[in-house]
Amino acid sequence: MMAKSSYSKVDEYGFERPTNFNYELYDHFMSSYIRVLTRRAQRWNTLKYDIYKKPSTLKRFIRKGIPSDIRTAAWMHISGAEDIKNSSTFTYRTMKQKISNQSIIDIIEIDLPRTFPDNIYFSSHEHLPGMLFNVLATFAHQNKEVSYCQGLNYIVGLLLLATKDEESSFWLLKILVEKILPQYYIVTMTGLLTDLDVLDELVHKYEPLVHRHIHNIGMPWAMGTTKWFICLFSEVLPTETVFRIWDCLFYEGSKIIFRVALTLIRLHKDKILQTSELGELITCFREMKNHPSVINCHQFMNDIFKLSGNLSNSTIDKLRIKYGKKKL
Amino acid sequence: MSTRTGAAQRPNGSTQGKICQFKLVLLGESAVGKSSLVLRFVKGQFHEYQESTIGAAFLTQTVCLDDTTVKFEIWDTAGQERYHSLAPMYYRGAQAAIVVYDITNQDTFGRAKTWVKELQRQASPTIVIALAGNKQDLANKRMVEYEEAQTYADENGLLFIETSAKTAMNVNDIFLAIVDELDENVEVPGPNSNKLSKFSLLNKTVGVLSKALFAKIVFPISINRKDSIISCDPSL
Repeated sequence: MMAKSSYSKVDEYGFERPTNFNYELYDHFMSSYIRVLTRRAQRWNTLKYDIYKKPSTLKRFIRKGIPSDIRTAAWMHISGAEDIKNSSTFTYRTMKQKISNQSIIDIIEIDLPRTFPDNIYFSSHEHLPGMLFNVLATFAHQNKEVSYCQGLNYIVGLLLLATKDEESSFWLLKILVEKILPQYYIVTMTGLLTDLDVLDELVHKYEPLVHRHIHNIGMPWAMGTTKWFICLFSEVLPTETVFRIWDCLFYEGSKIIFRVALTLIRLHKDKILQTSELGELITCFREMKNHPSVINCHQFMNDIFKLSGNLSNSTIDKLRIKYGKKKL
Repeated sequence: MSTRTGAAQRPNGSTQGKICQFKLVLLGESAVGKSSLVLRFVKGQFHEYQESTIGAAFLTQTVCLDDTTVKFEIWDTAGQERYHSLAPMYYRGAQAAIVVYDITNQDTFGRAKTWVKELQRQASPTIVIALAGNKQDLANKRMVEYEEAQTYADENGLLFIETSAKTAMNVNDIFLAIVDELDENVEVPGPNSNKLSKFSLLNKTVGVLSKALFAKIVFPISINRKDSIISCDPSL
């Protein structure tokens, strides 16, 4: 499936490649990545369910990539989505039947054709927009605090492309929004604003020159990176790279977002420092998806775990408390 | 951010008059057509289904007016109410704002008024605000009367125009009307009359716009803001 796409103008998930896409580089990457994928599939296949019993092996395996054909089951298992599904009082089907609030229905319906309009699966698959609606509307009805937040449409869109399954996409969305990500999508978006401050402190620690430059130019982090947090890099990085990130996000939690963010900034350090005004800087952030190291998702995932220093969930949580309090 | 004015070199080496650069922000309810207006103005394109904007998008467009090159730095913001808390960073320091509503949806007009109030209270006191009633191509489904919006604009000192990003109607005009309004407040050497008819878009993807298009600009503009001051930096 992936081999065929190496010369196609559309990637294996139905997205058009950028007009300036470097096919030569991609082909070079894919010739080695296919071997990686084959090997990973064999390794996962050998261990089968035993893999979930050994946390250290599991973490290493997940960081090297979950094979796409078992991704749905693996995501459900490692994220805890399977558990909340099994312990839930209501089935997905019953919750879906409760969709009734017309204003929620209207606002989601407006966004359906505006979600990945250029993706060949979303534009040609007759059921996909309906599945997208069902997941978003069911979620909105059962979580009154979040209801529907723009940006979730892209996350569910990618979940559907990865899992091809409406119900799994619902539970994965639920675990993401309610457990893994802190308060990003509520009406005040407090969690997002806090994490932007956390990012600021981490950049100051890891890349002080970049930090000073960005402050000199006067770019609030929200301008360059809101989509990183809200869309979890969908629409920001190549799809395969996004799914590799999500593999780790589902298992290790939201600290992964900061590793990715810091790695992106580190990879683009020279370019960022060469910018002299806000427009240039924003453009630099917007074009990060074209960096060769970002397209080579296997290398990129290696890079994000090479960041030294303590980036554990407890470190991040401490920073969240520090900046979260400030906002109260 | 200040509007910068100064001499610039043309590609052929002759000296251009000056460059003006200004920051413009688009605000308004979700799905009224903010991104579509920008896409039409910057790239001359229209997508029936424009992706919903998360956070904000940044685009630029450059136009020529007489001996002046005007560079727009455009911030296209997300419309959903909960992204509201991020909006001030985009309108802060902006010289102009286009507040957009959908003429087929009364609620979006109400939301536009809220944005105007917020801008009047919190943005730069010299900001030029334009009100755009978009989706004029759907006038048969109109829910907001032209006169109602015009009256509101007059009362609040806003530029007002109905637009259609789909048919391109009045899209360039609203951006150029803003330049004209900003220009009223800058000391510009040379002839000032009939400026709009001499506009031409530099961006090649837009194609050549006929002078006739700009000559026909006769839309109603209510100008109550003569007090705007734009700082000039001759060092550019």
